[in-house]
Amino acid sequence: MIFSSITFLYYFIPWVVLLYFLVPWHLKNSILLLASLIFYAWGEPLYLIYMLVSIVQGYILGILIEKYCNRWQSKLFLISTTLFSLGLLVYFKYADFFIVNFNAVTGLSLPLLKFTLPIGISFYTFQLLSYAVDIYRGKVPAQKNIINFAAYVAMFPQLVAGPIVRYSDIAIQLNIRRHRLSDIAYGVRRFLIGLSKKILIANVLGELVAVFKSSDDKSVLFVWIYAFACTLQIYFDFSGYSDMAIGLGKIFGFCFPENFNYPYISGSISEFWRRWHMSLGKWFRDYLYIPLGGNRVSTWKWIRNILIVWMATGFWHGASWNFILWGLLFAILLIIEKLWILKYLADSKIVKHIYVLFFVIVSFIIFDSQTVRGAFETVGDMLGLGALPFATIQSIYYLKSYAVILIIAIIGATPYPAKLWNKLDNMHIAANIKNILEPLFLLLYLLVCTSFLVDGSFNPFLYFRF
Amino acid sequence: MGEYLKNLVMICTVFLFLIVFSIWGIVKPDATVSVSERRTLAEFPKINVSTIKSGKFMSEWEVYVLDQFPMRQQFRTLKAVTVFDVFMQKDNNGIYIQDGYLSKLEYPFHEESVEYAADRFRFIYDKYLDGKASNVYLSVIPDKNYFMAHQNGYPSINYTRLINSIQNKMDYAKYIDITGLLELNDYYRTDTHWRQENIESVAGRLAYEMGVTLTAGYTKRILEIPFYGVYFGQNALPVEADNIYYMDNGMFDNCTIYDYETDSYIPMYDMEKAYGKDSYEMFLSGSKALLTIENPQAVSDKELIIFRDSFGSSLIPYLAEGYTKMTIVDIRYISSHMLGHFINFDGQDILFLYSTSVLNNSITLK
Repeated sequence: MIFSSITFLYYFIPWVVLLYFLVPWHLKNSILLLASLIFYAWGEPLYLIYMLVSIVQGYILGILIEKYCNRWQSKLFLISTTLFSLGLLVYFKYADFFIVNFNAVTGLSLPLLKFTLPIGISFYTFQLLSYAVDIYRGKVPAQKNIINFAAYVAMFPQLVAGPIVRYSDIAIQLNIRRHRLSDIAYGVRRFLIGLSKKILIANVLGELVAVFKSSDDKSVLFVWIYAFACTLQIYFDFSGYSDMAIGLGKIFGFCFPENFNYPYISGSISEFWRRWHMSLGKWFRDYLYIPLGGNRVSTWKWIRNILIVWMATGFWHGASWNFILWGLLFAILLIIEKLWILKYLADSKIVKHIYVLFFVIVSFIIFDSQTVRGAFETVGDMLGLGALPFATIQSIYYLKSYAVILIIAIIGATPYPAKLWNKLDNMHIAANIKNILEPLFLLLYLLVCTSFLVDGSFNPFLYFRF
Repeated sequence: MGEYLKNLVMICTVFLFLIVFSIWGIVKPDATVSVSERRTLAEFPKINVSTIKSGKFMSEWEVYVLDQFPMRQQFRTLKAVTVFDVFMQKDNNGIYIQDGYLSKLEYPFHEESVEYAADRFRFIYDKYLDGKASNVYLSVIPDKNYFMAHQNGYPSINYTRLINSIQNKMDYAKYIDITGLLELNDYYRTDTHWRQENIESVAGRLAYEMGVTLTAGYTKRILEIPFYGVYFGQNALPVEADNIYYMDNGMFDNCTIYDYETDSYIPMYDMEKAYGKDSYEMFLSGSKALLTIENPQAVSDKELIIFRDSFGSSLIPYLAEGYTKMTIVDIRYISSHMLGHFINFDGQDILFLYSTSVLNNSITLK
């Protein structure tokens, strides 16, 4: 099930919320768990078993890690749960990638496994890993209540697309949390804004991207339109989903970490990654980069650490060479920035933004490509190195047709609309009007989003398979 | 309004909206047909262990709730309004509006599709016509985009290239150009097809080029219900309906029209279909694989075999005057391999009459 569906909006979430607030406190996590299992099973009934097995092993081994704290058994249990969780992830997500490459190198033709990737496995695997590591490090106590633990791992608001919520983020809230009207209102608002970002912007731009991909009439202009549309689509798709997840968390009394902070206004790639998919960046920092030595090592080792972390980040996104290339591109840019150009970027006003946007756009072309070769061809076409005409009737038509949505998306990717909206609070009359209009706007968003869902079948979710 | 009250109002409004539509969706009796989209709507999916385990129930449910959502048509209209008036997009679901006419973007030009169509026609020629005394003709009907796409900045196929392409590949056929006889107002505003009352000159040109002169006069009759064409439903915007006029002549009463599929005789204008889900199907009863029309009062003793698509349905009644027997074939519904079982190809005139839409999307030709 995905948030941006009629089933979720009208037949799942209202009844779950109703039931959640009707039951007494001690049953609330059970309701959340039950809802989460239904939510998960709706898309992949059989893969529910793998998630349940993961939960049970994580729960038992977590307790054992804590029980044998500071003894060799504790490390053994940590290694066991890590191998189990990563093993499942590798088996389902990366086995075919390795087989394909093994066959290519050896000339053999081992058959592919062709598994469908269990939804959200990349996210809940990382949550289980951080849980086990944090217990091992003594940062959090193991969760003794299996319902609470299962509710944490399987919690549907963040199950399929994050943010990656660490156990330490919500350990206390699992046991005790407040349900305030202001939080619920914030959650509803955040959810509907996320829904609008996903349906009204990301999906519409996704149609443009799909038109480009199926076009036999490409031009340099069309490649640039595609590049912008794709870059904005990925942002609104993923940040919209994160907004919905954070909003739903708030409704149920949880405070999930933020995942995006207007990444496209960054003045450097380093800053970009402090604003983009923040929960993943922090995860890799704390559980891979710092254990490798971080930046408190020699320059060469630091370069090695950066390359490892970013190759892993790319590989986490997908079992394909273009994702690895995507990660390595950022690694190289981060190394160059740190060693040479960061101070120059800090002094510039415009150039730094052009630099960031250019490389981010190139990175998302790589991200969106089916093959590495296709990515290079598209980037070449963008730079006018292909044999494409500058513009065609089709490219001009689609530029005109999508101009408004592209402008809305570009403005919406900056903090200015939110700043302007918040500024109204300082003006008495405007604040009163805002208070009246806000519920109406939100209801309008819901109506329009519903209309797009009812009419359209184009509703992919880019991060759904990660 | 204070912060507390605002929050309360917002939560209650959104929650009530969701709950009301949820309950409404559950208790509302299911609709079976969407008249505007001319399709049957999804029914409640089968639920059992097998369909749940395979995920079939869930995937069919998603389609079902979309099809049966309360006020679905109004929501579709809201989406169309948002697309056109807020996002200022130039088309909705590929349908665009220009000067009150709805049309579907026909783009790009599919050379391979035209080649495929030509291959099918070549197969018919080689198998049934080669060496016979038949005169073979080809005519291409431009779709509405020919008159309204390129001129208004919409992507458009190169019609000259398409027509030249099919002409060159059918070197055994004489091409009859009818593009100059047509204008945009010869087509329905909400539908893909042309208006029968406006294409008498087209029929006259075709017949003339094939050696027959048509002189009959017709009475123009109106169908007493509004006609919502195929684009009306796809577009979802409230636009004015068309009227269907049909051209009547007492001669039609003496024509016998035999339908091979149902082994029965049908009327030239099927009034039952006229009041059905697609009024255009009144012309020769809509989609039919194989028909014969015999006219004992024809002005010549010639026979004609027409390979056609749905545009032909409204044009063919005009040609009835000129031929003692017409055989009407739609190879979208009958395999070309089977034609020898039903048709004795024996020197009749042959007309391939196809619209650019079908030639550019010819995968359905058998």
